[in-house]
Amino acid sequence: MRLFLLALAFVALALPFAAQAQSPDLGAVIAQHRDQIEKPSRQSVGPVIEAIAASGPLGAALLQAWGDRLLAIRKSDGLLVITAPDGDGLTLTDAATGAGLGAAAEGDVTLLRPNSGVRGVISAALAGNALSDPDPKRRIEALDSLSRRADASQLALLRQALDDPDPALAARKARLERLLTIQYDPDPAARITAIESFGGDSGLDFRASLNPILTTRRVALEQVPADANIARKLSLGSDLSRDEAYAMLVADGTAPARLTSDAMRATLAQHIADGMVGGVSLAQLGDQAARDRAYTALETQGIVQPAASEAEVDAALSRYNFLDLYAEPDADVTTSARAALRGTETRIGLMQAADLSLDALSLASIYFLAAIGLAVTFGVMGVINMAHGEFIMMGAYTGYVVQQFITDKTVSLIVALPLAFVVTFAAGVALERLVIRHLYKRPLETLLATFGVSIALQQLAKNIFGTQARPLTSPAWLDGALTFNDVVSISYIRIAIFVLAMVFLGLYLFIMNRTRLGLEVRAVTQNPGMAASMGISPDRINMLTFGLGSGIAGIAGVAIGLFAKVTSELGSDYIVQSFMTVVVGGVGNIWGTLAGAALIGFLQKGIEWFNPANTLAAQTYMILFIIIFIQFRPRGIIAAKGRAAGA
Amino acid sequence: MRKPLVLRHPSILVFLGVLAVFTVAVTILSTGYGTGPISTSMVKTLGKTLCLALAAVAMDLVWGYAGILSLGQMAFFALGGYMIGMWLMVARTEGIVTGTLANLPIPPTDTEISAAVATQIFGVVGSDQFPLIWAFSGSLWGQLLMVVLVPGLLALVFGWLAFRSRVNGVYLSILTQAMTLALALYLFQNDSGLRGNNGLSGLQNIPGLDAVGQEKLSIWFLWASAVALGLGYLLIAWVASGKFGSVTRAIRDDEARVRFLGYSVEGYKLVVFVLAAVVTAIAGALYYPQAGIINPAELAPIASIYLAVWVAIGGRGRLYGAAIGAVFVSMLSSWFTGGRAPDVNLGFYTIKWVDWWQVLLGLSFVLVTLFAPKGISGLVDWFEGLRPPRRRGAALGPDMGSLREKEAVE
Repeated sequence: MRLFLLALAFVALALPFAAQAQSPDLGAVIAQHRDQIEKPSRQSVGPVIEAIAASGPLGAALLQAWGDRLLAIRKSDGLLVITAPDGDGLTLTDAATGAGLGAAAEGDVTLLRPNSGVRGVISAALAGNALSDPDPKRRIEALDSLSRRADASQLALLRQALDDPDPALAARKARLERLLTIQYDPDPAARITAIESFGGDSGLDFRASLNPILTTRRVALEQVPADANIARKLSLGSDLSRDEAYAMLVADGTAPARLTSDAMRATLAQHIADGMVGGVSLAQLGDQAARDRAYTALETQGIVQPAASEAEVDAALSRYNFLDLYAEPDADVTTSARAALRGTETRIGLMQAADLSLDALSLASIYFLAAIGLAVTFGVMGVINMAHGEFIMMGAYTGYVVQQFITDKTVSLIVALPLAFVVTFAAGVALERLVIRHLYKRPLETLLATFGVSIALQQLAKNIFGTQARPLTSPAWLDGALTFNDVVSISYIRIAIFVLAMVFLGLYLFIMNRTRLGLEVRAVTQNPGMAASMGISPDRINMLTFGLGSGIAGIAGVAIGLFAKVTSELGSDYIVQSFMTVVVGGVGNIWGTLAGAALIGFLQKGIEWFNPANTLAAQTYMILFIIIFIQFRPRGIIAAKGRAAGA
Repeated sequence: MRKPLVLRHPSILVFLGVLAVFTVAVTILSTGYGTGPISTSMVKTLGKTLCLALAAVAMDLVWGYAGILSLGQMAFFALGGYMIGMWLMVARTEGIVTGTLANLPIPPTDTEISAAVATQIFGVVGSDQFPLIWAFSGSLWGQLLMVVLVPGLLALVFGWLAFRSRVNGVYLSILTQAMTLALALYLFQNDSGLRGNNGLSGLQNIPGLDAVGQEKLSIWFLWASAVALGLGYLLIAWVASGKFGSVTRAIRDDEARVRFLGYSVEGYKLVVFVLAAVVTAIAGALYYPQAGIINPAELAPIASIYLAVWVAIGGRGRLYGAAIGAVFVSMLSSWFTGGRAPDVNLGFYTIKWVDWWQVLLGLSFVLVTLFAPKGISGLVDWFEGLRPPRRRGAALGPDMGSLREKEAVE
């Protein structure tokens, strides 16, 4: 053990010296490769550049100048110089020693102009240099560019620069080294080790490095070579249809094309003679059987190429093996990569489920927010307010108007939330006093009258604000997303909406269960006559309750406007869903509304997960589900019991 | 021996008479068959209005007589339109495609024609095959049958599910609204098989009748719409008048009591709901060839609410009221939104009716609901000097949806 440590210490001490010893004098390198520097070619310049790069900072400066087309030869003595533009002339520096050589005219030097291929090699070498640059910023930049676009040559560069004073950067480098090893290391054993070293890692970069190994191509081969790395043997009929298989053979040029009906038609049209084709009159050719007869006749006359018959197709298909081949020749690597990918899939699946749940949760909180005002007016009072959506819209427009006057987004939001409550509270009270009060005994007509209010308000908004969408910009601190890893993330604005929904839930519970108003509301809901005889004014309570529900809708409108465009149709997009949320949850119970919103949110996201491209289908099936759900629980998830149920 | 239906309800005779006079008058004044002050597009608007009136009469049967405020009637209306539109589109495209293919040296086969038609119709949604639901689209009689069957079956299944579990009142309204929303969202998809949001178009061109010309076709459709409205009105008046009608109205006023008396409430409701759906679908099948285009936006919940609005403004519980409401509001609406109404200059602001008509409609609707629950047809009572019995504000039935004293006359 001691011996080992000693050896280690020795190696550590010797390393700098070794590095110095290996680094030859730049002048000697230049002299040795002079012709390659003057007339470089992409194929052969590699070792030269490596040698120059190995010679230290002067070499790096040389490479930089070379790549930037600033390297030149002084005509007078043939010295390699680095030029820098200086007014009309140039300032020269000796490339080998870095010594200044003073000014010169442009005509004194011959500029070297390496082609783009050579410059590519140079910049790759410089990237390697940048990886061990003393400036951490440049190291990060180099690492970023490397992880975006890497190739085999950079693996070696990265390996040379693995040491890093910054532990985070060192870890990144090590990870990138393993990723590049998976893809580019010539030794299969090293690649397998690298793959296995990741364990069940679910990073996107890891999967991205596995995927090229596992790409397959579909081939049709008569003889399968012994060293072929077969992903899958395809059996005709189940994995691959006969038509597809034959089309592959045709594409390879190993079998004649079959006759499509278009081709047959074109061929027949070429051979019309005296209104006849192959002895069949033109008028009869509107029939597939007659066309077949005509074509066979042409075939027997030897006028047209015979098309492949069914038997020939079968024979050709049976001669070939249809395979999916890995692009990667080594079977062990592909096996290991596949195992690793399968291992990550479980974790990825779990994370996707988590991400989906977060999405569903935020959708549920949006529905809850839109529906909670309705839970007061419809759920508690039993009033169908079709203009509820327009109260949401009014809230959103209030937010927009406030932003026109207060430019600071945070302050404007703080002003807009209570203002939206006040505006819609007033609108709700007005609606209750003027319309709904007179229709308490006629619920269906309340529905229609409030619908009239709804279309009037919508058109009014259109007249005032125009038809185009108005932006309601969220403050900067709500931009961006909370990212847990590559898969799971949620935007801050959605978190804010979730929090707002929870705050409202708390507020609702507090008002209903802990305040005088809530007590009176519940009393009036259960028995207006008895409540009135106890000294509670049902009219006043109804008015306040309705205003409260409307005010909550206004605040919800501000929140919804932050992520959706504010238009006059904003409310009508939510009204049916909001009603369904309340109905599914169970009327008259806030926990029911919460359950309803959760059910609808999770259901919609769940259905979308099966068919991500099609949110319309998800909504359709969700509504169908709700219609069927109502069949089995007509009173909702949490049904009101006892006397309240009869109200 | 009872008196015939029309004698027991003279309003039927009056209605049919007015309808006949109206149709004859429009024909005489039309460009196609008469002197020509009424343009073809106006004739089409009038024909469409008659179809809407038929849908409103059916709505009145469901809402005014059975007390089911269905906010999904336009789903049946549009479905009827889609069913007839499928035939119109296929037959017409087939005519065009056959014409093009006939120029080729070799006559086309049936499969080639059908493939070309499919490409022509479904190219906009990136498909070149007929979906399964177009199986009968080649046959006019097949699709005419579908006009009745598809909405009828939808109403039957939906109604059976809803009535069986005793979904009532506003819950049923929301559920029917959800139904039409779901259908609309489904049809908006490109792979729904009905051309997604493109809908079906070119329906005003009737295959085989290209030579007739739109000015005459529009009159034919006006006649067809008038006949359909007349027959539909008669049918619904007959259904609503006899014992069946009495039970239906009893269900509206107190469902539980009718059930205790031993009637099958669900059965009655289902018959009314399905019958109304079928009549609405027929109205739709006549409407959309005059409109020329149908797309899923026609099924939006708001369209069905408008239907309820017309019935309410006209006066629910009275068939002629529903028809009057539909005609009155939709004609007024097209007058205001068509830019024909003169702007009102208030000095500081000019009211453009195109922008303000909806506000006016919404507010007047609120006013009608509040102050004139009987709607326009209340004017008839006032004219005849009828007065509702004085019940000091008490309801006629204990159910929340039942008619109030003010509305009860019949």
